Amino acid sequence: MTVEQDFEAVDQFPVGMRVLAVDDDQTCLRILETLLHRCQYHVTTTDSAQTALELLRENKNKFDLVISDVDMPDMDGFKLLELVGLEMDLPVIMLSAHSDPKYVMKGVKHGACDYLLKPVRIEELKNIWQHVVRKSKFKKMKSIVTNSESDQNGVKANRKRKDQYEEVEGEDEEERGNENDDPTAQKKPRVLWTRELHNKFLAAVDHLGVEKAQPKKILELMNVDKLTRENVASHLQKFRSALKKITNEANQQANMAAIDSHIMQMSSLNALGGFHHQQQIPQFQGGVATMRHYPLGRLMFPHVSSSLPRNHNDGGYILQGMPIPPLDDLHNNNNNKAFPSFSSQQSSLMVAPNNQLVLQQSSYPSLNPGLSPHFEINKRLEDWPNALLPANTPQSDVISNMNTTNQTSFCRNMDFGSSNAAQADFSDPSQMRQGTVNNLSLFMGQQKVENGSMPSDAGSLDDIVNSMMPKVQSQTEFFEGDLGFGWHNSSLRTCI
Amino acid sequence: MQRQVALIKQSLFDQGYLDEQFMELEELQDDANPNFVEEVATLYFKDSARLINNIDQALERGSFDFNRLDSYMHQFKGSSTSIGASKVKTECTMFREYCRAGNAEGCLRTFKQLKKEHATLRKKLEQYFQASKR
Repeated sequence: MTVEQDFEAVDQFPVGMRVLAVDDDQTCLRILETLLHRCQYHVTTTDSAQTALELLRENKNKFDLVISDVDMPDMDGFKLLELVGLEMDLPVIMLSAHSDPKYVMKGVKHGACDYLLKPVRIEELKNIWQHVVRKSKFKKMKSIVTNSESDQNGVKANRKRKDQYEEVEGEDEEERGNENDDPTAQKKPRVLWTRELHNKFLAAVDHLGVEKAQPKKILELMNVDKLTRENVASHLQKFRSALKKITNEANQQANMAAIDSHIMQMSSLNALGGFHHQQQIPQFQGGVATMRHYPLGRLMFPHVSSSLPRNHNDGGYILQGMPIPPLDDLHNNNNNKAFPSFSSQQSSLMVAPNNQLVLQQSSYPSLNPGLSPHFEINKRLEDWPNALLPANTPQSDVISNMNTTNQTSFCRNMDFGSSNAAQADFSDPSQMRQGTVNNLSLFMGQQKVENGSMPSDAGSLDDIVNSMMPKVQSQTEFFEGDLGFGWHNSSLRTCI
Repeated sequence: MQRQVALIKQSLFDQGYLDEQFMELEELQDDANPNFVEEVATLYFKDSARLINNIDQALERGSFDFNRLDSYMHQFKGSSTSIGASKVKTECTMFREYCRAGNAEGCLRTFKQLKKEHATLRKKLEQYFQASKR
């Protein structure tokens, strides 16, 4: 294609569509290039996935579509696929000589728009432009939906949720997507910050730097369909706020109000696909905002049946509204226990009205085996903002009660771990170690439950809790570390 | 000359050295890409020579890492398919079967055959391109 042709072609989509072709096999690459030229696309080729990523990162608006081989020496094609999806939100088509359905499935799961078998025929390439159109159409829908909502949580990351929660692709997602796509929906779909989503968020924030992260950029990096800048902005806000809380001294009464609203929000959170909390145990599934005197009971009310925040499988942050246990109960629990140094994952977060937050640890499964500490923390932080969404007014009452009574030391054991099969191992032993915790903030983070039932995110909660613990450890380092409170793991048991 | 070219090509197809994919490639050849097919063929033989070498070495070592051999062969098969090298492709498939069965001797045998087919194809294509140019 000559340059002149290119210029002319730009407005005649799909003519001139800009394709990046990646294949380590020179023969195939050459053929592919020629085929694409024949379709009148503008083609850039590279035989290395790394180079491809660099090209894309350099200017993500330079390409409309990426076609990539699966077997490449320097990077697995699926990995590239994931990265492109995460960072650039471009449609990616996989190419392979493997016709095995499991490869195709893998491609789909990693987000490929299509999967072509080699040798590629020109007829197939002539239609690949549809993926570009489709994707941009979804983006438009997303912005319509979110613009029509005032609430931040408009966009629901259904897709993510689906994947994590059910591992069922396809129809369900689409159905939910359809629900959310309805721009006329009065109810604003809440964005469920699932673990995956939160991880992406964390990745993006990491990449940009916490201070410098801008919602817009984060959004771009995250590259999640139907997520809007507003969603990200609100999430970021919460995240930052959580961070601050963690790093600040725990004694901040001012947080209570925020916490209150969060709690309220949390209560209205829905478990993704049914968070199954195992028991009535006060398991704090979701992230709980750090609250100093937050009546843990509220959040991690033993009697709360649906309180478990998102199911691990859900991958969502779901903080079920938890009924607030009678304060008495809480009071009974004296949480003047020394907190064992617990890994963040296992912590029973106990909030004592007398500003003692006792976190008891139980073994928690590792919160997020796959997550980096930063992610963990971030996630947690992220979690609880979401978790906090539903705010129950009663909670504030409780909180204030808690604050004032100071008599009850209630230990809240969140047996995240116990109820849940897999508890993340919180490996933050130093985190919660409190004999008496003063001004412990109950940090509730929402987390996706690691394991099916238990909010594996408990770990994060633990982390949060831990971090909130009276400077047993430096907040920051805590923060830095694995924030993974074992939300799920933390066995917050109400010590009564 | 034209006739000779046509004859060579025909025989390549008749004898199963090449399949429709080769024809697809020819269709891609045009004024913008006047030597497309030859270029692709050159690339292919260069690439495949390297692969053959790798496989040879692996086989000579006698260690028979079937996974790796299978992986090489997968690559080989991919490019052979793309160029329409039919017989070579068949040998590749057979080789991979032997790999999966863990049949070292079968692999060796097949590979020998594969090399032969590969060499023959190369020669014939060279002839073909030579004739086309005249």
